[in-house]
Amino acid sequence: MRRSAVALAVLLLLAAPARAAEKLTVMLDWFVNPDHGPLIVAREKGFFAAEGLEVDLVAPADPNDPPKLVAAGRADIAVSYQPQLHLQVAEGLPLVRIGTLVATPLNSLVVLASGPITSIEDLDGRKVGFSVGGFEDALLGAMLERYGLSLDRITLVNVNFSLSPSLISGQVDAVIGAFRNFELNQMDLVGAPGRAFYPEEEGVPAYDELIYVARADRLDDPRLRAFLTAVEKATLWLVNHPEEAWNIFKGTAAELDDELNARAWRDTLPRFALRPAALDVGRYRRFATFLEERGLIDNPPPVETYAVDLFAR
Amino acid sequence: MGVRPLITALGLLVCWQLLVWATGAPPYILPGPLAVGRVLLARGDLLLEHALVTATEILLGILIGSLVGAASAILLTAWAPARRWLMPLLVVSQALPVFALAPLLVLWLGYGMASKIAMAVLIIYFPVTAAFFDGLRRTDPGWLELARVMNARPLAVLWRIRLPAALPALGSGLRVAASVAPIGAVVGEWVGSSAGLGYLMLHANARMQVDLVFAALFLLALMALALYFAVDRAARRLVPWQRETLPET
Repeated sequence: MRRSAVALAVLLLLAAPARAAEKLTVMLDWFVNPDHGPLIVAREKGFFAAEGLEVDLVAPADPNDPPKLVAAGRADIAVSYQPQLHLQVAEGLPLVRIGTLVATPLNSLVVLASGPITSIEDLDGRKVGFSVGGFEDALLGAMLERYGLSLDRITLVNVNFSLSPSLISGQVDAVIGAFRNFELNQMDLVGAPGRAFYPEEEGVPAYDELIYVARADRLDDPRLRAFLTAVEKATLWLVNHPEEAWNIFKGTAAELDDELNARAWRDTLPRFALRPAALDVGRYRRFATFLEERGLIDNPPPVETYAVDLFAR
Repeated sequence: MGVRPLITALGLLVCWQLLVWATGAPPYILPGPLAVGRVLLARGDLLLEHALVTATEILLGILIGSLVGAASAILLTAWAPARRWLMPLLVVSQALPVFALAPLLVLWLGYGMASKIAMAVLIIYFPVTAAFFDGLRRTDPGWLELARVMNARPLAVLWRIRLPAALPALGSGLRVAASVAPIGAVVGEWVGSSAGLGYLMLHANARMQVDLVFAALFLLALMALALYFAVDRAARRLVPWQRETLPET
């Protein structure tokens, strides 16, 4: 009896234990929305688990917190914005871009389609609402200058998160900071369709709207590469199975299953970075120069110090 | 004023710096008092410009809120139907979180000062009304008896007995209002504004200029303190016949 008990104990000890999944905290930029498609798919379809990761997706209360928390070592990865990364690095935050989630700008200048503004020149003497992001005057200034206007020809009003309501109610004539895949659909659904002007078509260098950032001294952490591998797999799967991916996304929470999210999903699909880990150095250099010219940052450091391709190191 | 408040202030600054050292918090999470002091000097004109806007909102908010609150309390005292219908409204005004109402106010009153003043008024309405009303209905029964014996008219009772007797209670309400009004103004600015310390904090936060955020916070705290002491002084002058029985020092 004792011998078999000992044998059993030895067998149990020798049995190879399943590799415990490594935890990873990913702070989102906002509450879960179609912009996070690849992340949701990666979690739900087991791509993270296949890389040995147990990923915790956390939505913040304030979109400005995630980069600070990552810089302070309280979270591993944050979904953030390329323009903000330039500003954060200028303020000394030890952050590095390790991947891209959405590879096109999403920010746009939106007016009411039924309104009097049909081109940017019509903004002369008008009120423009913005959501505080830190660089909207740089964006707007560049777009206006193309048409011979400047920022002092318009009135900037901080409407914070009420972009669509303030535009629809007529309190402002235009808004900057509206995401073309979200706010435009939102306005369409309430019967007040918008007309959008895209910064990258109006004199602003193209940039990555959503990126992944990590702490500068944690770049050798193998979990980061595992994360990006899983995200790439999920993105490609999403592109190959868009309908199924939408069903997975909306199935994760009841509030995601509505017309707005369905339309936003359709509009976001072509914008996901198909090569999340790859880095376009020229793009970051150009945008840094743009911010420097608009007076938001001084002497931007070399791109390699704040944006890397982890697999090319 | 004395040297004691200065010692307290110095002590608080030292505690602040110790907290930064103890927690090892980086400057973009918790800047130390020296960093904030530097920003106060370097961006002083910007901070002052926005501080004046917020100060105006707070002062007007307190003025209007106190007048409306005092008037409401008197109405509640003088007219029984008001007690039935106004009381629930009063309690609701306190129960509703102001930041939920803020977007509505901004939508109705626009992005200028009006909505911020309305927020400040809303946030102090209940403390002022409740405190004053409490004082008005707890008048010493002995005095009321005396008035009845002397055949005083109800209006005279209200004006000459209840009101003066309730002034200390009003003073307490005003002190609470002074400390809470800044919150209303700042929350209003967060929801939508183009000027003020709340707006400056939002902007600086987005630019990761956390030292500027804390500098604005520091100024806000100073303003709230100054306001409290000013209201405290005024409240004491309001009731010269009632000496405080606790020595100040």
